[in-house]
Amino acid sequence: MAPTEHWRAYEPDAKAPWDLRRVVHLHRRAGFGATWAELQQDLKDGPEAALERLLRGSANTAAPIEFAATADTLAEAAVAAGEIGRLKAWWFYRMLFGPDPLGEKLTLLWHDHFATANAKVGDPGLMRRQNDTLRKHARGKFSDLLNASVREPALLAFLDAPANRKGHPNENLGRELMELFTLGVGHYTEADVKEAARALTGWTAHEGKFAQDPAKHDDGDKTVLGKTGKWTGADLVRLLLEQPATSERIALKLCRQFFGEKATPPEALKEFAAGLREHEIDIGWGVGVILRSKLFFTDANIRTRVLSPVEYVVGTARALGMFDPAPSTLALADWSARMGQDVFDPPNVGGWPGGRAWVHTRGLIARANFAAAVLTGPNAGRSAAYDPSLLPSQYGFGGEPAGVLTFHCRLLFGIDATDEVRQRVAGAEGRKLVAMLLSTPEGQLG
Amino acid sequence: VILYIGELIMLTRRDFLRSSSLFALAPAVPLFIARTARAATADKNGHVLVVVQLDGGNDALNTVVPHADPGYEKLRPTLRVAKKDLVKLTDTLGLHPALKPLGKLLDAGHLAILPGVGYPNPNRSHFESMAIWHTARFDDEELRSYGWLGRALDPSAGTAYMVGGAVPTALRGRRSSAVALARIEDILLADPAAARHSAGPEANDDLLAFVRRQAVDAQVAADKLARLNGADGGARYPGTGLAVRLKLMARLLKADLGARVFYTAQSGYDTHANQRFTHAGLLNEFAGAVTAFFDDLQAAKLAERVTLIAFSEFGRTIKENGSAGTDHGTAGVVFVAGPGVAGGMLGSMPNLTELDRGEPKMTTDFRRVYATVLNNWLGLPTDGLGGTFEALPLFRAPA
Repeated sequence: MAPTEHWRAYEPDAKAPWDLRRVVHLHRRAGFGATWAELQQDLKDGPEAALERLLRGSANTAAPIEFAATADTLAEAAVAAGEIGRLKAWWFYRMLFGPDPLGEKLTLLWHDHFATANAKVGDPGLMRRQNDTLRKHARGKFSDLLNASVREPALLAFLDAPANRKGHPNENLGRELMELFTLGVGHYTEADVKEAARALTGWTAHEGKFAQDPAKHDDGDKTVLGKTGKWTGADLVRLLLEQPATSERIALKLCRQFFGEKATPPEALKEFAAGLREHEIDIGWGVGVILRSKLFFTDANIRTRVLSPVEYVVGTARALGMFDPAPSTLALADWSARMGQDVFDPPNVGGWPGGRAWVHTRGLIARANFAAAVLTGPNAGRSAAYDPSLLPSQYGFGGEPAGVLTFHCRLLFGIDATDEVRQRVAGAEGRKLVAMLLSTPEGQLG
Repeated sequence: VILYIGELIMLTRRDFLRSSSLFALAPAVPLFIARTARAATADKNGHVLVVVQLDGGNDALNTVVPHADPGYEKLRPTLRVAKKDLVKLTDTLGLHPALKPLGKLLDAGHLAILPGVGYPNPNRSHFESMAIWHTARFDDEELRSYGWLGRALDPSAGTAYMVGGAVPTALRGRRSSAVALARIEDILLADPAAARHSAGPEANDDLLAFVRRQAVDAQVAADKLARLNGADGGARYPGTGLAVRLKLMARLLKADLGARVFYTAQSGYDTHANQRFTHAGLLNEFAGAVTAFFDDLQAAKLAERVTLIAFSEFGRTIKENGSAGTDHGTAGVVFVAGPGVAGGMLGSMPNLTELDRGEPKMTTDFRRVYATVLNNWLGLPTDGLGGTFEALPLFRAPA
């Protein structure tokens, strides 16, 4: 892809300087928000170093040395106990403490794309397995991700693949494979769905692993998207990957993940899709292009996206430096669910509606209540209350209300409080002030 | 965009104003955003359906009692209910005395009773029969997929609320979603004053303005709920589990969350032994809760918008067993309540002598009830039911 105006790399200039606002923006979009120390480090090191750390998977330099071992222990214990709630907590632990926030964010994106709910699967072990697979391929080639994901036993169970057999086709997997995982609506016919289901007959899971049952496979000719052959499931996936609609859909998915509303003109999207296609839908390449682009750092793309509940919850805890003591990750997962994003239990195979759909009565109430709870401590499983003057004093803003306000506005939004915001929070102090900033409409955007 | 014009007309002015800034941008707004914005706002003021699932298999024969049928006393030597105790329905039928609280709805003509509702080749497994009622499907392989309400809400990507307990299959859809809510605290603000101030003034920025409007709405809803939480507005609910859940549901309705489908369950109907008092207690809990629910809604001037249906996965064996209980049977009773309902007995009682494998044959296919409720009450599509089903005269003609 020849870099055009849209995708030219960002270089700081007078119109778009490398300032705190852009560093906050980068971490909100590419990760889950950053601590004051991380923000200052990136501000000093410049965009290249900051982007490099994120893309390489080492943005969180303060990750505990024993992170990987702790995470594995948590997951194994959750699976052994058969408790999905503890597996949810494991994932929040990864997002809060892990070295690679972008990797976790992409894993969450693919969990949404290949949405699978434990409510139906009923097996935390399979859910963990699937999650690890999504993480492993999160920034790899989409063909690897897709091939691995559609063979995950959790997804197969969720989409009734074992029921799909010769003479008794079940269209669930075939339909979602076309509609949601690759092409999107309008790029296939109902006849294609039926034929795709036939190609997928015999796909199943055995002892927690992908298996094919030749006795259940329909080995006759099938015509999918105009091509006829004795297609197997693997052939079907290959045929779908070849379609331009697939790269277009993944391009759209990545842009929706990292850009706000109206930030990508249709030509830019088209160009990006073409580039992805040239690069065999290399996700890591695509994410790199997006995050390095001028388009990503323009004013029109800053604070134009509704934070998802997971982003809001983890972002709050990370920005405020709540690591020791940390809130209970069980509680964080529960708060996120109350806001509408229950990881490992998306509402349906389409995943979470996202964007403006996050903004509803129950969700906004939960966000305001979470802000109060995480600052106070007990209702978020945190053994200490947040000291609102500690960080401002430590970083030279002073512990007085004015310093507390300035520090937290810069930390959360990358800018100073406007007069209007000052008016809104007038009279509030300490934790209450921070809770109000977190609950503002502005605080829901990132 | 054309697609939405028909539906826009059904929105109230307030809803329209709320959505119009977004629709004005329609050419620039991806369809998915327009759709979610509509789904979030279009439901208010519409008809609402409340489903109460009676878990375990309600004993139909002792719910609507055919006292004039000579077979009844023979089938129920110890469990029979005396004619004099029944709530009179017709010359030959009476309701179990524990359902007496329903008399008020019945007298007002707001309660339809459908005996013998079921499906062909009844399945006597709790799990499988419930799955059939949830999905309106019979194929084993489809019994774990999508529900009848989830499918109906799919085209509008609607939201349903499950009050107490996990989201049931009935509410699962491909694009619709269901929210499980058990605690009033989930929709009460911890610090209402702070929330009010932090919302800020009208904004020019389109997205920010949207979030702000929603935030103000959320505060209004939370405020309403908080007030309702302190005082019940005169509504007197019994202290039972179902009553607590219906009370929470009434609060959600009053707070105008915009959802049109609410679901809850009452368990315990699997009465295999010594069922007399257990069954009476369950029916009384049901009748008391439903009556209080409608009284509450009536006082809040919301009752006209609400229809409640109650069903169980099957009735029980018409012949009592050796331990003064009953076992898994077939067709059962469905109650449909609300001011919009054309009250009275609807459909015929199952014949107690023309049996199929020992049990009476169903007289009304449950999918006719679903089709009627979806089409004539909610105005939702019925194609998810997997066939065409003749409507029942369940609802009054609109005045």
